[in-house]
Amino acid sequence: MDDLEQAILLASDATAAATTPSVHAEALTFCARARESPPSSLLRLCLSGIASSPHPQVHFWCLQTLHLAILRRQIVLPDDVALLRSSLLSLAVSSHAASPPFLRNKLAQLVALLVRLEYPHVYPSYFLDLLPPAPPQPGPTDMFARVLISLDDDLLSQEYPRSGDEATDAMRVKDSMRAQCVPQIASHWHAAAVTLRTADPAAAAVALDAARRCISWIDVGLVANDVFVPLLFDIAMSPGSAAPLAAAAVGCLSAVAAKRMDARAKVGLLRSLLVAHQGLGSPDSGLKMAPLVTTYAAEALECYRRLGPSDADGAAALEMLEEVLPAVFAAAERCDDEEVDSGSVLEFLSGYVSIMKAPSEKQLGHLGRILEVVRVQMSYDPVYRVHLDVLDKVGKEEEDLMGEQRKDFIALFRRICRVAPAAAQLFIRELIMTALSSREASVEDVEVALTLFYCLGEAVDEDCILTGAGLLGELVPMLLCTRFLCHSHRLVALVYLETVTRYMKFTQEHVQYLPLLLGVFLDNRGIHHQNVHVSRRAGYLFMRAVKLLKAKLVPYLDTILQSVQDVISQFTSMDWANNKDTKFPSSEDGSQIFEAVGLLIGIEEVSPEKQAQCLTALLNPLCHQIESLVIDAKAQGLEESSPRAIILQQIIVALNMVSKGFNERLVMVNRPAIGVMFKKTLDVVLQVLVSFPNVRPLRSKIISFLHRMIEILGISVLPCIPIALRQLVLDNEARDMVEFVVLVNQIICKFKSSASAILEEVFPTIASRLSVILSQDAFSAGPASNTEEIRELQELQRTLYTFLHAMATHDLSTVLLTPSCSQYLENIMQLLLFTSCNHKDMLLRRACVQIFVKLVKDWCTNTEDKLLGFRAFMIEKFATNCCLYSVLDKSFDLRDANSFVLFSEIVIAQNTMYERFGEDFIVNFVAKCLPEVHCPPDLVEQYYRRLKANDVKAFRAFYQNLVEKIRPLGNGSLGSCVIDVYRATISEIGRCILRQYLNRVWQPWRSSYSLYSSEMQGGSPPNSFC
Amino acid sequence: MALPNQQVVDYPSFKLVIVGDGGTGKTTFVKRHLTGEFEKKYEPTIGVEVHPLDFSTNCGKIRFYCWDTAGQEKFGGLRDGYYIHGQCAIIMFDVTSRLTYKNVPTWHRDLCRVCENIPIVLCGNKVDVKNRQVKAKQVTFHRKKNLQYYEISAKSNYNFEKPFLYLARKLAGDPNLHFVEAVALKPPEVQIDMAMQQQHEAELAAAAAQPLPDDDDDLIE
Repeated sequence: MDDLEQAILLASDATAAATTPSVHAEALTFCARARESPPSSLLRLCLSGIASSPHPQVHFWCLQTLHLAILRRQIVLPDDVALLRSSLLSLAVSSHAASPPFLRNKLAQLVALLVRLEYPHVYPSYFLDLLPPAPPQPGPTDMFARVLISLDDDLLSQEYPRSGDEATDAMRVKDSMRAQCVPQIASHWHAAAVTLRTADPAAAAVALDAARRCISWIDVGLVANDVFVPLLFDIAMSPGSAAPLAAAAVGCLSAVAAKRMDARAKVGLLRSLLVAHQGLGSPDSGLKMAPLVTTYAAEALECYRRLGPSDADGAAALEMLEEVLPAVFAAAERCDDEEVDSGSVLEFLSGYVSIMKAPSEKQLGHLGRILEVVRVQMSYDPVYRVHLDVLDKVGKEEEDLMGEQRKDFIALFRRICRVAPAAAQLFIRELIMTALSSREASVEDVEVALTLFYCLGEAVDEDCILTGAGLLGELVPMLLCTRFLCHSHRLVALVYLETVTRYMKFTQEHVQYLPLLLGVFLDNRGIHHQNVHVSRRAGYLFMRAVKLLKAKLVPYLDTILQSVQDVISQFTSMDWANNKDTKFPSSEDGSQIFEAVGLLIGIEEVSPEKQAQCLTALLNPLCHQIESLVIDAKAQGLEESSPRAIILQQIIVALNMVSKGFNERLVMVNRPAIGVMFKKTLDVVLQVLVSFPNVRPLRSKIISFLHRMIEILGISVLPCIPIALRQLVLDNEARDMVEFVVLVNQIICKFKSSASAILEEVFPTIASRLSVILSQDAFSAGPASNTEEIRELQELQRTLYTFLHAMATHDLSTVLLTPSCSQYLENIMQLLLFTSCNHKDMLLRRACVQIFVKLVKDWCTNTEDKLLGFRAFMIEKFATNCCLYSVLDKSFDLRDANSFVLFSEIVIAQNTMYERFGEDFIVNFVAKCLPEVHCPPDLVEQYYRRLKANDVKAFRAFYQNLVEKIRPLGNGSLGSCVIDVYRATISEIGRCILRQYLNRVWQPWRSSYSLYSSEMQGGSPPNSFC
Repeated sequence: MALPNQQVVDYPSFKLVIVGDGGTGKTTFVKRHLTGEFEKKYEPTIGVEVHPLDFSTNCGKIRFYCWDTAGQEKFGGLRDGYYIHGQCAIIMFDVTSRLTYKNVPTWHRDLCRVCENIPIVLCGNKVDVKNRQVKAKQVTFHRKKNLQYYEISAKSNYNFEKPFLYLARKLAGDPNLHFVEAVALKPPEVQIDMAMQQQHEAELAAAAAQPLPDDDDDLIE
């Protein structure tokens, strides 16, 4: 034993592990080997260790070893088992409260395991042996309670995953205990609580904790009686009770209140608790017995719900609930306290509010209390005031935390707003009045008052805001002319602006308040606020105000422009470029003020002269600034992150935002002078692109600007496009490709066939990339499909398919036939075919089928084809693989909406092919393909008939029927076989294209735009493929 | 509690036990702390590894001796014997594996059997993984047992400090204690999708208002 003792001590010693790892490892091995001893000697070894060693670690190890041995059913000889049982029971009975808790728990765990295995059939008197004699002494009481707790933890409680065997054992143990000893145990708990509450409160607390765990499965009357309950209340409420003991008593009472039973019996039980403790509803109870009062109130609410208001017991339940409300409110007010489960308090309060239809006078009083609870719980702690103002790390953390905490209270507040709107408005008015009139109103008070006012705005109808219904007609003007003493605080200023924005609709109907509203946004409560977070947010909110009210703001145009002048010039100043440390969300990048100004100037209510004058004043300085920056940059170079590059970006963003206020009709039709101004601006911006095509962030801003200009200048912008595109493909990496193709797609959609020359020029670049990119597998499932690269690739693929689709559907298919483009045709066709049969995304597949349909219509008539070989390709490849094999594959699910849409498109494709190819199509499809997939002759014949009938709907229904009928005939995996072959082909295509692309296309294409243009290699390929 | 070869420190130190199913990321988590890793002068041993992790607070330095109990099942070791004299604990589960969350109550029970009334943090690890199996709103265990819950991502350092800060506040009895220096961490290996995480946290907040699942299936007596 001495060796083992040494080994255990060494093994439990982290110091040994660190200093002499080899010795430590040896000790562990020694201990492990000891556990392999024959069961009988292991048992005796452990028992002697427990008896003789002075070290708790050794005791622990011995108990743990025995536990494992029993668990593994190693100790089975009757003599051994009897020895073990009697030793453990005598240890437990003699155990004294001074031994370390972890040893008492380990012993209890062992005894509980024996109970599970042996009680009552092998040894029926475990509990009788262990039950402490009266009067209860701390040691045995504590040990007995720990055995019950262990039994609960390891067998009875439902909190842990349990096997079927465990459930059976648990049922057996509970039944036997109920029959044998539960009443004695309950009176022991009572005796222990009485005797030990002052003598040894810790032991009394453990006893009551054991009781709490048993209440759910014992006769509740053993605890819920007029002896035990008053004692529990007395312990819970008495100022002299130690905290853990009081908590244990509250736990018992809560378990009683939560006991499962039918609603009527529950009402009786709840009533008895109220009788036992008259002050249950007092705030004091709420403070001392928070879990009980919340459980009680929630249970009463549940009874009321079940029994209904017309039932006497139901009505009584509601009365009892309302009697304990003051206690619940007291508990709710200390929700941040750990002992209060704020979730269940909130849940009860929400439940309670939701049963109110038309609140009575009394209930309105309760609602007032709940509103106050909401207000208090939503208020910031003043200790964070400075942190929240400067928004440092602590402030940020506090703001996030509060954001989360508030969500549920806001939901509760909205519920109250719905149940009792007038009460909620009155409450808000009081808050605002107090915040305004009291010199003591703190940042936190004002902030929460405004936040709730804002939430009220989310709960009421938009119409109520418009008309100023209820108290709103008084509250909103009050808000607009308000300036709080603490308005300089970031939080107050922000929530003030948000609230004003929430209610700004009111000024639509009440225009006399417009100057007040403008004041809010434009003075030092808004864009001139000292805090940059506030001023930028104000810029954004002002833009939203302008969007909503622009026509009504025309009279104030000059005032507004004057007020924003300094903010506007700041945006493109050096200061700004140097102040990039703070991160702002994109809605607060400061550019929205330009959008606001653009929106204001851009409406037709402004006279043409005024408009031209304002716009010149806005655009000219910015254009001059660009020009001089470009000159400087040409001399000194332009680094991506230099202040100069940043200012250039800022200016282009500003121009972009200004243009958002204008549309094509105004700029090109009604007031062409404005169009000329934007056109000039575009020329200036393009100079930046021409001079510095490789500054990536700048390039993306320019692309955005181009999008806008195409939108508002329309066809007049067309001559500038080639220059821009040529610059944009320089050093164009994969990630830039999306931006580029999106721009091209816009050009296609906007200009249709007028863009054919442009497209002819850029198509080779896109096409050469396209084959490589599209032949990569970006949509397969699996954990690897979640990376950023794959997502980027997916986006790019979609953009490229959109590109091809846009070309086909905007009358640009002829571009594909031009000499410089046709060399890519074959690869593109193969890719489209592959995708139309196989892609995971059904909508992409549909787009591909649509492309084919369009190409057939464009290129093939009954008499002649524009592209040699295309007809054969469609008939032999597309019709067979896409129209037949891919839909026969069992993965094609016709019940899926997207798949069905694709199916419809495939049906249309067949109609179109028949229309254009006539008998050529029939010969292959009807005479060859359908029989190959074992289609019965009568169906083949019907197919032909239905196709000729030219009724798309009827044909689709027939074809669906056909597919479903022939799919089981050994055709279920046709699609995937075909697909495998294609997959191999496609990746080969990908490699070829890459080589071709580098050697033949990319280099010459680029150099043709450089100073020393080189000759294009290779002649134009013939107009054919396949 | 200090280990002799790891320089005895003259500031408060605490034994922190980290438990949880295998593969939930306990070891990865403690090893994010560079000083802990740096000072670990011994080779990984059987049963348990102890890492001293230092934090600077406004009340001075503190040290957690983190008992990383990884691999104990495989190597035998002393199992719950390692918990003895633990002063605080972290229970770790993996949000991408439901089973590891299901076993949390068992870890908690075994821990509390040995260490009564110690502050415990429940950590849902790997929230950087897109395909999580345990949603924030499904995590309710901490509410029943008064534990603190944090979503963490050991790989991206997301919320690394939070569990330690909570435990430090509890152990010091000072709710306003805060860390004054950034902890030296290994650079993140993945970037967490903040938008997605905010959504999870919103769910978590919403979940706090939900009733606890009823699991007492015993019927009326």
